[in-house]
Amino acid sequence: MKLFSLIALVVLFLAVPWIIPVPFFLHLIIMVLMWTVLGAAWNILGGFAGQVSFGHATFLGAGAYTTMILYLKLGVAPWFGMVAGGVVAALIALPIGFICFRLRGPYFALSTLAVAEIVRLVALNWESLTAGPVGLLITTLPDVSFRGHPIDWESKTPFYYMAVVIALAAVLATAIMSRTRMGAYLLAIREDIDSAEAIGINTVQARVSALSLSAFLAGVAGGFYAMYLRYIDPDAVFAISLSVEMVFIAVVGGLTTVFGPLIGAIFLVTLGETFREHFLVGHLIFYGAFMMVAIRYMPEGIWGKLRLLMSPQR
Amino acid sequence: MRARRADGAHAIPNAGMETFVQSMVSGILTGSLYAMIGIGLTIIFGVMRIINMAHGDMVMLGMYGAFWAHAAWKIDPFLSILIWIPGAFILGGITYRFLLRKIVPGGELNTLLYTAGLSLFIANLALLIWTGDYRTIKLPYAIMPLRPFGIAVPIPLAIAFGMAILVTAGLYWFLVHTDTGRAVRATSQEPEAAALMGVDVERITIVTFALGTALACGAGVLLAPSLYLYPTVGEILVAKCFVIVVLGGLGSVPGAIAGGLLLGVVESLGAVYVSVPYKDGIGFVIFLLVLLFRPSGLFGVGKS
Repeated sequence: MKLFSLIALVVLFLAVPWIIPVPFFLHLIIMVLMWTVLGAAWNILGGFAGQVSFGHATFLGAGAYTTMILYLKLGVAPWFGMVAGGVVAALIALPIGFICFRLRGPYFALSTLAVAEIVRLVALNWESLTAGPVGLLITTLPDVSFRGHPIDWESKTPFYYMAVVIALAAVLATAIMSRTRMGAYLLAIREDIDSAEAIGINTVQARVSALSLSAFLAGVAGGFYAMYLRYIDPDAVFAISLSVEMVFIAVVGGLTTVFGPLIGAIFLVTLGETFREHFLVGHLIFYGAFMMVAIRYMPEGIWGKLRLLMSPQR
Repeated sequence: MRARRADGAHAIPNAGMETFVQSMVSGILTGSLYAMIGIGLTIIFGVMRIINMAHGDMVMLGMYGAFWAHAAWKIDPFLSILIWIPGAFILGGITYRFLLRKIVPGGELNTLLYTAGLSLFIANLALLIWTGDYRTIKLPYAIMPLRPFGIAVPIPLAIAFGMAILVTAGLYWFLVHTDTGRAVRATSQEPEAAALMGVDVERITIVTFALGTALACGAGVLLAPSLYLYPTVGEILVAKCFVIVVLGGLGSVPGAIAGGLLLGVVESLGAVYVSVPYKDGIGFVIFLLVLLFRPSGLFGVGKS
């Protein structure tokens, strides 16, 4: 039965571009999947390890710029560049982790915000590498064929499949991580960092590993973002608001859950993008409003709440 | 934050004494307003132990308040502070009473996330109502800067400086000499002992949040004629506030004043002697260094 539903789910995902060939809906689903990855990335650090970061745009931006620069300067195809973007983001995460993890709670959050702003300024002013505020633009993507059919990069279909794969990988990574020793370490750190330290957990190493995994996923998502939009500039990929959006998707969806970021992204991104279709600005108003509602009335998030309601031994 | 510079100063290497004094002066003028915003954040932190991410948006509301008072009612922006400070005081009280009161006991991180939500909500509401256009207030007396001793001082910034000193002095007097002010300080130092001594902590908390909001909003009114206005200006301002209060030690009013002036001067000198594009980054670098090596603030008066 479980296998059957799994196959049905896969077939459904594969068939989506044929069922709803409306570009806006495909765009919406792609955005939802991309934000699922970003929310999942944030959730690994902010949810499981309990380290609230307000600077995750750093890793998104690092991934996006790596992908773009590799393609523009060295001709590396963006789908490989995406993975390289993840690796670069994870490498950048190491020094950031060793600096910021000396601080705790809200102070850690503020320090990540400061680091993200410094990184944004560097991206804005290191013009030989990033072209500064002008941004980077790609006009064409490399020609490739899939079973003899050249891939049409003007349609949204190939991006949809890519987004499905990345989102699946992010959710799987979260699920696997939560079942390993590492996941248990992170939960221990979240609950009480001093006790975790006392029972012999190397909390710095565990937190830095969580941050690197988190940064890797955010970097891959950033690379995808760059390839999908084909244009990036520092304010588009390093903005504080992007960091904040990731936080909100994870929190509203459900912290420390495997599917929370997916639910959060479905909910918030759908609302936001639909709103953006009609009004040009202010679509993040829902993010703010639902964040307040979630913290006040269901701190476990939508998915956390559903799981509570569905569990039989309530 | 993009400041409109009446003096047209740019990074000039090997600039002389005059440039140094000039940038010190503009640093101190801007710093006085930073200090005002920082005091608001720091008294809220002192009493409530919360980091108010929406503080910068209160500054933004003040800026728009001044703008609309000028555009719609032809009131001088500096006079409009008489309307907006009491208005913001009430707004702050309402915000605390109806939005934050149930959240604050849930812990620092929850409150941080909640106020981040509030901040995004206010900024986007402002975007919807006022659009994302950059606006400026054009004052007839803002064209020519004053030139005492050959140093260019933009008149709006000079007025803002004077009024910021008045407001800060008024707040100081309130905190030191009135019963409510003493209760605020007592709650900040030791909330349980204050409660045992008969301080109505709940009332003091509302008053403090309202005061902090009023200070932020008032600083916004004073800043409005010297800066570009746009709805997400709070994002950068709130980040600067954190720099200021952490420099001075969280919870310390004198620390916030010193931190504000210091940040203003550092930014202003940095723009001249380091680089204009990185001027906003210098504050953040200092912020990280202070957080890491002197978490109680540069002056060792705050509580960490």
